[in-house]
Amino acid sequence: MRALVTGANGFLGQRVVAALLAQGHTVRALVRPATSVEEIGWPASVEIVRGDLRSGRELAPAFDDMDVLVHLAAAVTGGDDAVFASTVSGTERLLTAMAGTACRRIVLASSFAVYDWSVIRGTLDESSPIESGADLYRRDGYTIAKSWQERVTRRYAAEHGWDLTVLRPGFIWGRDHGYLAACGQQIGRLHIVIGPFSHLPLTHVDNCADLFARAAADPRAAGQTFNVVDGPGERIWSYLGNHLKHSGERGFRLPVPYTVVYGMVSLAFATILKRNEKLPHVLVPCRFESRLKPLRYTSARAREVLGWRAPFDYEECLKRTYG
Amino acid sequence: MRAALIGAGQIARQHLSCLKALPAVQIAGVCDLSPAVAESIAERYGATAWFTDHTTMLREVKPDVVHVTTPPTSHFRLAMDALQAGAHVLVEKPATATLAELEELVRYAGGQQLALTEDYNYVFNHATREIVRWVETGLLGAVVHVEVMMALDLFGPGGFADPNARHPALTLAGGALADFLPHLASLAHQFTGAHRRAHAIWTKRRPSILPYDELHAVVEGARATATLGFSATAQPDAFWLRVYGERAQASTNLFETRLTFERLRDGPKPLQPLLNGLEEARAVRRAAVGTLMRKFKPGPGTYDGMWHLISGTYAALAQRTPLPVPVEHVLEVNRMVEALKPEGAAS
Repeated sequence: MRALVTGANGFLGQRVVAALLAQGHTVRALVRPATSVEEIGWPASVEIVRGDLRSGRELAPAFDDMDVLVHLAAAVTGGDDAVFASTVSGTERLLTAMAGTACRRIVLASSFAVYDWSVIRGTLDESSPIESGADLYRRDGYTIAKSWQERVTRRYAAEHGWDLTVLRPGFIWGRDHGYLAACGQQIGRLHIVIGPFSHLPLTHVDNCADLFARAAADPRAAGQTFNVVDGPGERIWSYLGNHLKHSGERGFRLPVPYTVVYGMVSLAFATILKRNEKLPHVLVPCRFESRLKPLRYTSARAREVLGWRAPFDYEECLKRTYG
Repeated sequence: MRAALIGAGQIARQHLSCLKALPAVQIAGVCDLSPAVAESIAERYGATAWFTDHTTMLREVKPDVVHVTTPPTSHFRLAMDALQAGAHVLVEKPATATLAELEELVRYAGGQQLALTEDYNYVFNHATREIVRWVETGLLGAVVHVEVMMALDLFGPGGFADPNARHPALTLAGGALADFLPHLASLAHQFTGAHRRAHAIWTKRRPSILPYDELHAVVEGARATATLGFSATAQPDAFWLRVYGERAQASTNLFETRLTFERLRDGPKPLQPLLNGLEEARAVRRAAVGTLMRKFKPGPGTYDGMWHLISGTYAALAQRTPLPVPVEHVLEVNRMVEALKPEGAAS
């Protein structure tokens, strides 16, 4: 199989390229014109093509002889409009270019962020409702962009009859990416752990990349949506404790119940904060929930459809992250 | 009134936030080349319809006012199409890539008795309006000189100097700095009037794809002189406006809420620095808190000037009274901009 990978030099992209190579596939990596890739150390078999989804010029040749597009590119920094333009308009340009080629299969990196966390109770799975309508625009810019990226990709796939697989990873962690937004609120060395016994929807970057590579090659993945988590997930308290222990960072954990903090945030938002959506994310209830709401998570669908299990257990992932 | 908008990027959201808050205005249509951008912005701001082709929108929506918020080199064509469709036009700065294009728009709009105006939002910021009030009430005395200086880092990822995707403003004479020049010129013009002479020095301090990253200029206006500056390397980011009057001096950072005055006072002269210093310290303390609190409040935030300008423009159009930025001022500001362009670049 020959795969075109966007965002190939990113945190997840580098590991997806490695996983595709390890599974015997051919990789063409799309990276921005001014990006340096020498330090990544890709083997000579990885073909590098240069392009920027924001400009859209000369993207079609990147699809020549490719069987599948693994679309990982998305902006994670910058203002909301820049994130949207880069992630969503960039996807439009990429898929418009693809429409004139023989490539007919896509694996899209979506996100857990697209779910409507306010209404989900119990277990979050692929059948859980996604955020839509006016409520979507109360969420953060990344969520708005990822929701629209998935929406746009589904429309293109339906219009052109492409095989689409959507993967929605939870929190992706790995080397230099051990501290997560769900760890709570950090003030200097103090970590306020909100809902310390909540489970985290974790996927280690190597496990996540393995599923991307398998989904790209397995025809049973066509038309499917998979949540990407390694399992039920570590509890926030122990995950943060491991992070502090293994990273060498000094810090103190202060546990506070989720319901108490959520109640205070909701009350303040509706009263003294006057429902101002320009506030920091932790003070806007729907964004607070999307980072911290205690739910249960499962990778059952990937297991049932693809027979996938996370290849590395938590202890091994700790070694890969901090070893 | 029926409003429509062409170009749904970052600044467009500020226009739409204001329009959504105006009870007598309906956002009848939004247009962007990206279907997802157009549809999402329509959904977000309650626009009646969205389009990817502006001529279709103009034909189907028949707006009273069109906001042109695309990259500047496209302004002329889009503004002319909107005028030819019978709409008043509010165009983002820079109004056009060349003065000749602007003059053509002005001639056409005048012939059709349509309004054409440009967004000079910093002229309508609370602090600028307060300084203007001091001028009009005589507290500042006659204006002698104005300093306008913007320090803004343009080298961040995804910004004007991103080598991966060239910013549209880089096609302007002067490059990215030309995108900010109307802010500087419109503020200077507010206090000096039309320029008589102008001299600018354009330089480059840091290797990048920007043709220039520093601009410093001197302007002689009808009522006073001005110095204008832009630095992409001086930090922290700030937008200083300092107005020297015959009786007082005003200073504001337009990126914050800081506004201070130093004035002549009655009483012993040796005490004047002390009293001015105490007054300034109080104002700076208040502004520090105010700037923080502004981030926590709903509403326009740093774009209060734009909201004032847009709401004032719609009120003027409805009541057939003079616009906040009359077309004569647009021409005078753009003539100043033209005089400040780098040598060999003037149109």
